[in-house]
Amino acid sequence: MMAADLPAFQQYQLQFTSHLRNPKQNPRPAKVSAKRMRLYTQIVFHNWESSVSACFPVAKKTLGIRAWEKLVRRFFIHHQSHSPLFRQIPEEFLRFLETADDLPPYLKSLAHYEWIELALSVADVSIDMQSVNDDGDLLQAVPVLAPALALLSYDYPVQRISPRFKPMQPLAQPVNLLVFRDIQDDVKFMELNAVTARLLGLLQAGSMSGRQALEQLAAEIGQSSPEAIIQFGLPLLLDLKAQGVILGTAII
Amino acid sequence: MAQLSEIRGAGLGLKRELIAQLQAESGKDSIGAISFLEIAPENWIGAGGRIGKQLAWLTERYPIVAHGLCLSLGAPDALNEVFIQRVKEFLDQYRIPLYTEHLSYGSDGGYLYDLLPIPFTEEAVYYVAKRIRRTQDILGRRIAVENASYYLAAPISEMDELTFLRAVLEEADCWLHLDVNNIYVNSVNFGFDPHEFLRGIPGERIVYAHIAGHDQEAPDLIIDTHGQDVIDPVWGLLDEAYRLFGTFPTLLERDINIPPLSKLMQEVNRIAEMQASYMPNHRYANAR
Repeated sequence: MMAADLPAFQQYQLQFTSHLRNPKQNPRPAKVSAKRMRLYTQIVFHNWESSVSACFPVAKKTLGIRAWEKLVRRFFIHHQSHSPLFRQIPEEFLRFLETADDLPPYLKSLAHYEWIELALSVADVSIDMQSVNDDGDLLQAVPVLAPALALLSYDYPVQRISPRFKPMQPLAQPVNLLVFRDIQDDVKFMELNAVTARLLGLLQAGSMSGRQALEQLAAEIGQSSPEAIIQFGLPLLLDLKAQGVILGTAII
Repeated sequence: MAQLSEIRGAGLGLKRELIAQLQAESGKDSIGAISFLEIAPENWIGAGGRIGKQLAWLTERYPIVAHGLCLSLGAPDALNEVFIQRVKEFLDQYRIPLYTEHLSYGSDGGYLYDLLPIPFTEEAVYYVAKRIRRTQDILGRRIAVENASYYLAAPISEMDELTFLRAVLEEADCWLHLDVNNIYVNSVNFGFDPHEFLRGIPGERIVYAHIAGHDQEAPDLIIDTHGQDVIDPVWGLLDEAYRLFGTFPTLLERDINIPPLSKLMQEVNRIAEMQASYMPNHRYANAR
């Protein structure tokens, strides 16, 4: 915001916050106590950093405290956060990362992977279990997936990144991950092969029966014998049901 | 709309850490003194999953006060009316009769997620009061504004905190959410008499109060952490406020370093015991 035409108290406020955001670059307002101002710069940044770090413990550990704090400071200086909801601070951080350069190549993927757990744990979606047949035929009927669910594909093996493993090159084949909130409201992660990922992708639309989805999959991978893919697919569907990814089938 | 009179007695600020204990003790005498809970809408709006279910459980059992953090009443950027509309829906959805906010600001074109002091100038009085009125218009109800704690006096201020607070309340025609701990914190940080400050409060506007602990960093510096037990001088201020103005619903805030619920109940019980020895605030009894 530009200060020129604003009332004096607002010019003061903007000087105050621009100093808070970037104390090295922007002077504090005239005649304010340096000691008390420092208190604000410390408290406000500490709270900001804690709100971000709570969602990204692996990214913080992997970058190391110093690099992490420098990155969060850049976020504080350069990003205008438009959500008043505290829960969306991590999402604002992801938005900032999209615009940031000189990041370790794996960082955006890792941050997204860490954020998705929070996002799915609080996603305001639910399903009326009255409309789900727990015992339905997964081939003949339309399977219903857990409502808070994301099928993700990352160019870096995000689930294995740690301070001792910082992949600098993208994978030859992206890693497919399924993240979903189960019926107990716990968020679960599963690594998927490409075929299973595609099958779930087809089922996600909620319009295909298990058989239709498997037949389409067979066509896509050039498998000419539908029965072979059903043989392969039924145990897979049953397993996804047992894991709570598939809740049952739709009651029409 | 839920009635303000549903909020009475002593309350407890809800923290996630306390939910399991509240559920375990539900209906027992041990937590009988908790007459209502307070939540920050910014932490609960649009939340599903486990915390959404917890909120539904709590709102079925307790009257709720919504105490906001990010309305940013004193900020130089535009009032977030889309957010106020979401707050309105939230208050309606959970039948929340009271929404309060800080007399502070926390944005400058982007949110800082903190509470910063507004310089006490005449222009600021009219500016903030106008935003409070606009908020009340959108919500279709009166809100209460809380006297904030702060650590740094703006050299451009033209009046003291009490004059500023009174002028804003008058100009906005809103209620006061009285924080007795903040009076004490500021009295130490800026060297004034907290009892004299309290006597200058427009008692007829008080609908609600906070009490809390803090961290004393130096003889002349308190950080308002809500991370310790309430100290005796602050209990003394609450007692004095009840004596001067009559009682009003009062909530214990504890945000960090949170002890077990049974320990917090000692302070909630103390609020309820103090209230029992005074008459209810007249303005409050008539408030709608």
